[in-house]
Amino acid sequence: MQDEPVATEQPQQQQQQQKEGEEVANTYVIRPNFESKFRPLLAKPVIHEVLVERLTDKAYDKEATSGLCKELTDEIKARLRANGFERYKFVVQVAIGEQRGQGVKMACRCLWDSDSDNYVQDIFMNDSLFCVAVAFGVFHY
Amino acid sequence: VSRRFQMEDNSPAALQNSFNVEEVSQIIKEGIESSIGTSQYQQNKVNQWTSAIIEHCLNHLTRLEKPFKYVVNCVIMQKNGAGLHTASSCFWDSQTDGSCTIKWESKTMHAIVNVFALAI
Repeated sequence: MQDEPVATEQPQQQQQQQKEGEEVANTYVIRPNFESKFRPLLAKPVIHEVLVERLTDKAYDKEATSGLCKELTDEIKARLRANGFERYKFVVQVAIGEQRGQGVKMACRCLWDSDSDNYVQDIFMNDSLFCVAVAFGVFHY
Repeated sequence: VSRRFQMEDNSPAALQNSFNVEEVSQIIKEGIESSIGTSQYQQNKVNQWTSAIIEHCLNHLTRLEKPFKYVVNCVIMQKNGAGLHTASSCFWDSQTDGSCTIKWESKTMHAIVNVFALAI
C-alpha cells in the first residue's frame, strides 16, 4: 500500500517532461573527444622510455632477444593501457634485428577511421642491434 | 521467465562476419608471390615492393566486405646471416578480432607480413 504514491508520481513526472518538450539526450560516445584521442604526442614518450630503459647497453644475442622482444611488447602495451585512452584497442609490434649492414624495410598501411585511430612508432639503434616499435590505437565504437 | 544471454554468437551470420585466418593467409601469400616472387633483393626497389604487397592485401581484404578495421604490416630484409625477431602484443576482444602472420623467404631476402583485423 505504501508503493502506490510512488507509482503515481512517476507518470506525472513523465507527463510533465513530455509537455515541456524535453528529450533525453544520447550519452553513448561514438567518437572520442579531443582529450581522449590516441595522440602520437602523448604516446611516443611512453614507447621511447621503454626502449631506452631496456635496450641501452644490450647486445644482440640469439636466444635472449626472442624473450626480450616479447617482454618489450607486453611492457609497452601495459604502459599504454595505464595511460588512459579509454575505449581503445591496442596492437603493439616490436622488431629487433642484428646490425650487420643488411638492408631492411618495414612498411604498414591501415584501413581505419583516421579521425579516431592513430599509431606511434619509435626506433632505437646501437652498435649491435636495431629495434623498431609500433603501437596502433583503434577506437572501439 | 528466465533468459540466458550468450556472449558468443555461433549463428551463420556471425560466422560469416568473423575473422577467417585461412582466407586472409591465402590473400597475403598471393600478394607476396605477385610482387617479389621471383626477384632478387634490390635496395632501390624495396619501397615499391612493400607498397605493392600491402596494397594488394588491403584491396583484397576490403573486397571481403567484413565489418573490420585492418592494419597491415610488412617487413622485407636482405639475407645476410643477420637475425631478426618480431613480436606483437594486442589488447582486443579475442572472440571477434584476429591476426595472421606469414613468413616467406627467397634466396636473397626474407619477408614477414602481419595482418591485424579489429572488429567494429
